[in-house]
Amino acid sequence: MNQFKLYSLFKNIDKILMSLVLFLLLIGLITLASASQQNVNLIGNQILNVLIGMALLISLSHIDPKRFLFYAPYLYIASLILLLSVAFFGFESHGAKRWISILFFNLQPSEIIKITVPLMLAWLYHRLQNDINFKTHAIASILLAIPCAIILKQPDLGTTILIWVAGWTIIYLAGLSKKIMVIFGFVIALSIPYLWSILHLYQQNRILSLIDPGRDPLGTGYHSIQSMIAIGSGGFLGKGWSFGGQTQLNFLPETSTDFIFSVYGEEFGFLGVFGIFIIYFFIIYRCFDMAKKMQNTFSRLIAASLVCTLFFSIFVNIAMVSGVIPVVGAPLPFISYGGTSMVVSLAMIGIIMSLNSHKSLIAN
Amino acid sequence: MIDQHKFKYIFTHRLNFLFGAIIFIFLILLIKIFYLQIIKFENYSSLAKNNSLKILPIPPIRGQILDVNGEVLAENKLVYTLEINPKDRPNLNKIKQKLTNIVEITKYDLKKYNKNLSDRSYSSTLPIKSNLTETQVAKFVANQYKYPNIYLKQKFARFYPKGKSGAHFIGYLNRINQKDIQKLKKLDRFESYLGLDHIGKTGIEYFYEDRLHGHPGYKTIEVDVQNNVIRTVKTIAPKHGEDITLNIDYEIQQVAEKAFGKYKGAMVALNPNNGAVLAYISQPSFDSNLFINGIDETNWRRLNDSTHKPLINRVVSGIYPPGSTLKPFVALAALENDIRRPPFSIDDKGFYSMPNQSKTFRDWKNGGHGEVDLVKAIAVSCDTFFYGLGVELGIPKLNSVLKRFGFGEKTNIDMPNEKRGLIASNEWKKSKYNKKWYQGETAITAIGQGYTQTTPIQLALATAKLINPNNDLRPHLLKKLNTSGHMKSKVRASTNTNTDTDNLELIKKGMSLVTKEGGTAAFIGRTSSYNVSAKTGTAQVFSLKKGEVYDESKLPDELKDHALFIAFAPSENPRLVIAIVVENGGHGGSTAGPIAKKVFDAYLNGIN
Repeated sequence: MNQFKLYSLFKNIDKILMSLVLFLLLIGLITLASASQQNVNLIGNQILNVLIGMALLISLSHIDPKRFLFYAPYLYIASLILLLSVAFFGFESHGAKRWISILFFNLQPSEIIKITVPLMLAWLYHRLQNDINFKTHAIASILLAIPCAIILKQPDLGTTILIWVAGWTIIYLAGLSKKIMVIFGFVIALSIPYLWSILHLYQQNRILSLIDPGRDPLGTGYHSIQSMIAIGSGGFLGKGWSFGGQTQLNFLPETSTDFIFSVYGEEFGFLGVFGIFIIYFFIIYRCFDMAKKMQNTFSRLIAASLVCTLFFSIFVNIAMVSGVIPVVGAPLPFISYGGTSMVVSLAMIGIIMSLNSHKSLIAN
Repeated sequence: MIDQHKFKYIFTHRLNFLFGAIIFIFLILLIKIFYLQIIKFENYSSLAKNNSLKILPIPPIRGQILDVNGEVLAENKLVYTLEINPKDRPNLNKIKQKLTNIVEITKYDLKKYNKNLSDRSYSSTLPIKSNLTETQVAKFVANQYKYPNIYLKQKFARFYPKGKSGAHFIGYLNRINQKDIQKLKKLDRFESYLGLDHIGKTGIEYFYEDRLHGHPGYKTIEVDVQNNVIRTVKTIAPKHGEDITLNIDYEIQQVAEKAFGKYKGAMVALNPNNGAVLAYISQPSFDSNLFINGIDETNWRRLNDSTHKPLINRVVSGIYPPGSTLKPFVALAALENDIRRPPFSIDDKGFYSMPNQSKTFRDWKNGGHGEVDLVKAIAVSCDTFFYGLGVELGIPKLNSVLKRFGFGEKTNIDMPNEKRGLIASNEWKKSKYNKKWYQGETAITAIGQGYTQTTPIQLALATAKLINPNNDLRPHLLKKLNTSGHMKSKVRASTNTNTDTDNLELIKKGMSLVTKEGGTAAFIGRTSSYNVSAKTGTAQVFSLKKGEVYDESKLPDELKDHALFIAFAPSENPRLVIAIVVENGGHGGSTAGPIAKKVFDAYLNGIN
């Protein structure tokens, strides 16, 4: 009986995807142990985060996509309220107001938005799937723009772009005509000077120091330079676990969270980096494969959007630590220390698994 | 209207496109990582090492300077300084205020700090206050937490226990300035000075800088981002500087300085058998300790602007007309050219008339010396004899002997800033003034009053060569002269003079009579238990107008004649040569002679 129960608990779990994710989680914990300089409390917390995330993943994999469809608008509105409440009740850290204290843990509502926005947009297109036109895309854009604007005000440029990308993945996959995309691209290009002017000074500095990291090596360019030194000095094979000088001597900032990939790169070298790329690649490939096989608009759009969000998080983080884009403060999915990010990433996988295992349940 | 199939088609199509884009982006990231980790590995690897590994120089301890008996002339004293790092962009006024309770930072300290700041660049911290007392150190240590950017440094500072005594030959250290840095870089010795602030500027401190300085060691330490030391990776001990023992006998030096009293001038005493310098005096002197941390302006003005020029190292840089001390060498030139050889003599009436000219040259003694031969001419310093001798001999023949005895050339003593002096000649006058050489000039050159000029060290060396004409003599302060290395200039040690000993005996006989009854320094002979050979000299500072009579008592001090004196003793077996110039001292026998006498007594009879 027990065995049966256990089986039924995991019955919606995709074994390949799950093993890839578990492997990443393991790498993450190992790296964290070194990055935190064997801080037992921190590792313990992260294990707890993983366990909570895994519980959520498994739970979500059992939830009928119909329920997602039903609750999507409510979740969207609830998360918007949460997001707004940050502005009133939230607390500041590192110069930005992003967190809200709920019961005994600190929640970052902008992370939850990463799931609720795709749900909302997918809901919209699913509802109007027989009549998708310019108006539909316009509504979707507005639904997307609201949370983006709020998060940008926090300020959190990284998450804003991430959500924006997640939303546009859906709008794009839902068939936005190429003509409009071109026009949109044009509008964006023209509005760059304006966008630049509304950026905070520190954000402008980050972009400038990306162009020339030596501009202010002890200021805005510092993180970028130290991170590149860490990765670069890792070489082909790396310095070995817990032997990363940059990490262990605290030259590298935020080693447990945003810059954990630099630690990994320093200690495991190019070989290690290549390995992690392969795992990420197969996770995305597997999810795309699942999305393609899904039977309804809602599932397909959500699955694809969530994967793209995941990918984009990975891209932003790695590109940031390797000096391709400015330092924006975005965690690396499954690896970085942090409860919300970990739980949300695992929840996304859980939702995708749910959609995958309930293909036939929402027929068109 | 988009139908489901079409929707799915677009979806799949666009998803594939996205997937392609993702692969592309992954590749870009991978290339960037490849660039960082493989292509630029060396670069980042060394950057990482620089990040965490700091190399700190361990300065060497400078060698001491000792006299021949081990008396310390220059040593290192442990001092405490408060230092700040200019890179912290310190607010000097604030620091001054903060430190009020512990130590007063004076205007002068701030000035010195700013001067050092502009002078040099490679030591991390600069002193804001030097030479703290123990109480000040204790107070600072107790309150150290209040001054995070002020560092208490313990270091060795140069100290000259003898102060003014021997300052010229000992020399001094001063802070390294931009000029020194450039020079060190040129010599490829810049690295040896990392972590050090001082370098020898004059005297032995300068000349033997290489040996005294040593070579710094290094400590490689690993630091974290806050510069906390994690561990010491490697230590290479410094090679400390060598102690230098000089030939100077400080007891003799003291006797000589005391004998010199308030007179200005120079004295050098050397061993005629090997050139070892036993005493070396240049007066007036200065306290070398003033220079160590950068001399203050008041003191600098006082020393540099003084009409007495205390900073000039007169033994090697002071240029004087040799006066009658040149006569023994002129006489030797005559003998070598076989003129004026005894028993040849003249009847001195107190003046000399140039052949075929109406011009006459006076002897220093009114009425003259009567019958004078070459030996007596030296003993009584008969000018008349030498006027005629010079004119008959001619300047080229005279100069060739002077040259052999080292006039007009550096002696290559181990001291910086040595001057060559001058052997005046026909050609020299032509090129310098574009004027003809007159025979009268030959006459006055023969008594040492012409253009020919000498340094005290040249006089001493020339005298030593009278005793040891066949030795390669080179005056030196360093006890063990290591000719194989370390000598800065191309060594051109004075060479063998190839002088006939019979001729020399006649000269030396004349010199020995100088201290006997009738000689110009007879009082020395009267009171000495040993025989002294000498030659007095008087060099005119001020030219008398025709018909005017030199009256010492009427002239202001600075226009009085220079008194010169060269001597060696004991005459039979000379152990010490002395050359003295007393500026504005009047007659050589009466002022310079007694000084020499005291030094001979101390050296030959011992100090009581």
